[in-house]
Amino acid sequence: MMPDSTIAITQAVLRALEGGEAVATATVIARPEGAAGPDVSARLLVRAEGEGLGSLGGGPLEDGARAAALEALRDRISHTVWLHPDGTPAQRADPSAYQVLIEAIAAPETLLIVGGGHIGLSLATIGEHLGFSVAVIDERPEYASPERFPMADQAICGEFDEEVRRFPIGADTYVVIVTRGHRQDETALREAVGRGARYVGMIGSRRRVGAVLRHLVADGVPPYELERVHTPIGLDIGAETPAEIAVSIIAEIIQLQRGGSGRPMRERRAKLPTADADAVADAE
Amino acid sequence: MNDVYEALARAIRTGERVAVATVAHTRGSTPRRAGAKMLIRADGSFCGTIGGGCGEAEVRIEAMAIVQGGAARVVTVDLTNEIDGPDKICGGVMEVYIEPVDPFLRVDNAGTA
Repeated sequence: MMPDSTIAITQAVLRALEGGEAVATATVIARPEGAAGPDVSARLLVRAEGEGLGSLGGGPLEDGARAAALEALRDRISHTVWLHPDGTPAQRADPSAYQVLIEAIAAPETLLIVGGGHIGLSLATIGEHLGFSVAVIDERPEYASPERFPMADQAICGEFDEEVRRFPIGADTYVVIVTRGHRQDETALREAVGRGARYVGMIGSRRRVGAVLRHLVADGVPPYELERVHTPIGLDIGAETPAEIAVSIIAEIIQLQRGGSGRPMRERRAKLPTADADAVADAE
Repeated sequence: MNDVYEALARAIRTGERVAVATVAHTRGSTPRRAGAKMLIRADGSFCGTIGGGCGEAEVRIEAMAIVQGGAARVVTVDLTNEIDGPDKICGGVMEVYIEPVDPFLRVDNAGTA
């Protein structure tokens, strides 16, 4: 039989996905044979603060699972843990351990695109495809319209300084500044730095962005905040067209999220059997 | 919002029995990581992906049996075989937890919900 709290847990998960408070769950997915503890599918939900829901039996196993779930809530990484009935970590696949699936559940992260031009449009398309909640800001009504950005959750028309300042930026926000001019870029960057965004990137040539960053330092923006800004923006894949530049920017964001090296996967491939020594000698 | 959860919410509302498959643990190279989810209905139709290909097809077949009254369990999908075959050549092993979701059972037991 399913635990009584299942509906409440499902509702809390749905609320988290709709933008409410992030949660994490711990679910027993395998248990030692003959164990006295919780059954498979027993589930505990934890919040960063306040009461959780459900139960894994209330004993030390639940305490161990709760600790793992709270950690996942911070790191946003889902994984499996193996726990002894006393709550201490066990080896993977230990038959005397409980296997507990830890899932971090949070609303989609936000891609805030400042500038609704060609690059902004490509970014919105790719960003939505990747599961971001997309927001676009532009001063020009025709570049910040729902008609131009049907894939965006928000198309905001207004002054860059005011709208970026007003936009809720936090640890789940990726800000990409791609307006039509470096003055507007500078205005947007000034409002975006120092607010704890996961990523702030700004388009521009090395020379241009150098000038923008110097202006902001002169205005008293702490240099360590500016050091974190991804500018010039994107991974070096030789991008030229707006769509290519958008791919390069998104690749940089994925690299940040997933921790990749940015190097070709091919370099990690196993080597082919080497040609025999005679062939090598002939070639020389 | 996430498509799988949206489909799950709909199933709970309409009283449809479904199964949810979640990647729980992976070793080696696998297409999706822990936490990836799909929802499977009794007729085999589904929403979301745990990586596609033969491995996913195996999980779908197991899930259809679980929708029809099986118990929640972990299915291990081995993608290390058939290096020269057309599929499953990712080279990893994936443990997938499949759980039946029975809305009626939930409502009956929702004493504290």
